[in-house]
Amino acid sequence: MIRRICMFVVLMCFGLPHAAAELNVSITVFDPGVPEDASTHRELLVFPKIRRIEALFLPFVLRKTIVETGGWGAVRVVPEPDIAAELLVTGTIIDSDGETLKLQVQAVDASGRVWIDNAYVGEWAGADSTSGRSGYQNLYDQITDDLGTARDASDSKVLEDVVEISRLRYAVQLAPSAFGDFLTTTPDGLFALNRLPAENDPMLERIERIRGVEYVITDTVDEKYQELYAEVARTYELWRKYRRKFAQYQIEEAQRQIHENSDAPRGSYEAIRGIYDNYRWDRMAAQEQEHWARGFDNEVGPAVQRMESRVAELEGWVDDQYAEWQRLLSEIFELETGLTD
Amino acid sequence: MGNQAARRHGLAANRIEVIMIRKTGPLRQVRPFSCGFTLALLLLLGACSQQPTINSETLSYDGAMPANLAGSWERDYSRGDDASLVLRRLYSQMSRAAQQRAAGGPYPGSSDVGISVKDASSIQALARLADEITRPDVLTISQNEYEISVSRKDDFAMLCEFFGGVSKGTDSPYGTEICGWDEDQLVSYLTLPDGLTVIHRFTISDDRNNLRVVTTVASTTSRLPFTLSRFYRRFEPASSEFNCIETLSMKRVCSTGEINP
Repeated sequence: MIRRICMFVVLMCFGLPHAAAELNVSITVFDPGVPEDASTHRELLVFPKIRRIEALFLPFVLRKTIVETGGWGAVRVVPEPDIAAELLVTGTIIDSDGETLKLQVQAVDASGRVWIDNAYVGEWAGADSTSGRSGYQNLYDQITDDLGTARDASDSKVLEDVVEISRLRYAVQLAPSAFGDFLTTTPDGLFALNRLPAENDPMLERIERIRGVEYVITDTVDEKYQELYAEVARTYELWRKYRRKFAQYQIEEAQRQIHENSDAPRGSYEAIRGIYDNYRWDRMAAQEQEHWARGFDNEVGPAVQRMESRVAELEGWVDDQYAEWQRLLSEIFELETGLTD
Repeated sequence: MGNQAARRHGLAANRIEVIMIRKTGPLRQVRPFSCGFTLALLLLLGACSQQPTINSETLSYDGAMPANLAGSWERDYSRGDDASLVLRRLYSQMSRAAQQRAAGGPYPGSSDVGISVKDASSIQALARLADEITRPDVLTISQNEYEISVSRKDDFAMLCEFFGGVSKGTDSPYGTEICGWDEDQLVSYLTLPDGLTVIHRFTISDDRNNLRVVTTVASTTSRLPFTLSRFYRRFEPASSEFNCIETLSMKRVCSTGEINP
């Protein structure tokens, strides 16, 4: 009992600052987009381990861009989709080969309204080492612009409702009996406000404080992604540089093949050696790229492992607390109303 | 662009040619097939043609891989073929065959019983290529449940991939590699433009200390393929006091302590 009281004292210490017009944005770690059929990876030049790192890394670049743009509340990178997020951004890596980055990005607000669901393609435009901006910055700018356009197209009442719905969806997760009837579902499957809780609803205040604690943890997780970004960015740029070199080599090699005029008679040693060497160089270049991929993984693997292990600890803590919070709130609800969950 | 290069070499994109060489026999057949539909097309071709085709059974296996070739192998120079001797033997065979043809032909006793300059030149080219590509004195073979890689100095690593026990080829505008298991022999087929093929057949000894690699180079420009045998002995690479890993930005990083990638 004392432990429970202490926990609530801690919860009371955290407020939940929020500006209604500025939505909080949760960006989920991307889907790496690795084809299930492992036999296609080599052919498609997909390096699963590197894709997994990109899936952790690229959302942070988007986060940075959104933060720099302004006009948003807290922007966080989260390991799992938060269904109660005011605005949840998810993405899948479709293609990432050094020259081109293609992402499928979706943004859905707490009411379930889809803001964007587009494929974004960025061509490498060179890295600006002074500003530290990504060579694919145009892609992130485009996503951010589209989010801003969607937000600006919504009137403030809609945005305020999104914040309220987000709050109540979170509350429903923790105390379904207390808040289950505050929301309704429209025929097109969107969440809508059925009624609003009282301004000083003590149960909702408790839940907001719990959410405040969760945000603190989420911010700590977000910091871990930030640390990973700082640690990996340079090596990742190098990897992209190598991949671009490889892509360029392939183009030049194909050009050379087209324009090459071999005078060697068909079947002669020079002719068959040339044929063998064309294949040999092509394979050696491809294998060099795989060598780089292993080097990249060796270099950043420990940082990724450290980050994932820390995030898993924090996530585990939240999951454990969640169960405890749900139980406590259920007990309080029962005490206050005489109803059971 | 790659396709154009491929067409220049008479190799349609995504198409490969496979040559089946039996354990005991010479070159049997050249047949094109689409890489994506390897097995189906091979079976179809086999059914529609009198010519023998690749034994599709070699392209798949059940359970674990039939043999484990992993390890470091150094060339055993006391055994194996001398390319020039093999070439001389081939010339003799071709010459004898030509004599027999002449003796039984429409003009018995004809003096034109040698081999043509073109034939000699073609087989010599194959011999030289076979000798060169089998020159590396160390092979490093790594093998896991679905992949075998044979690393050679100054050459690409031969790669054999098996997913679910089924062989998966490596396709590029410049050629195609695919492997199979002929009982406990690993066979690597490399099919290149202009009808050039390179086939390596790996056999490990029962005590797992010796490896034989039989390499056959064939071309549509030569009536006969050229085959060379090389032998290798297993060896343990010298252990270093340093532990090293490859990294992207710092290349090779070594330490006397433990390095965890």
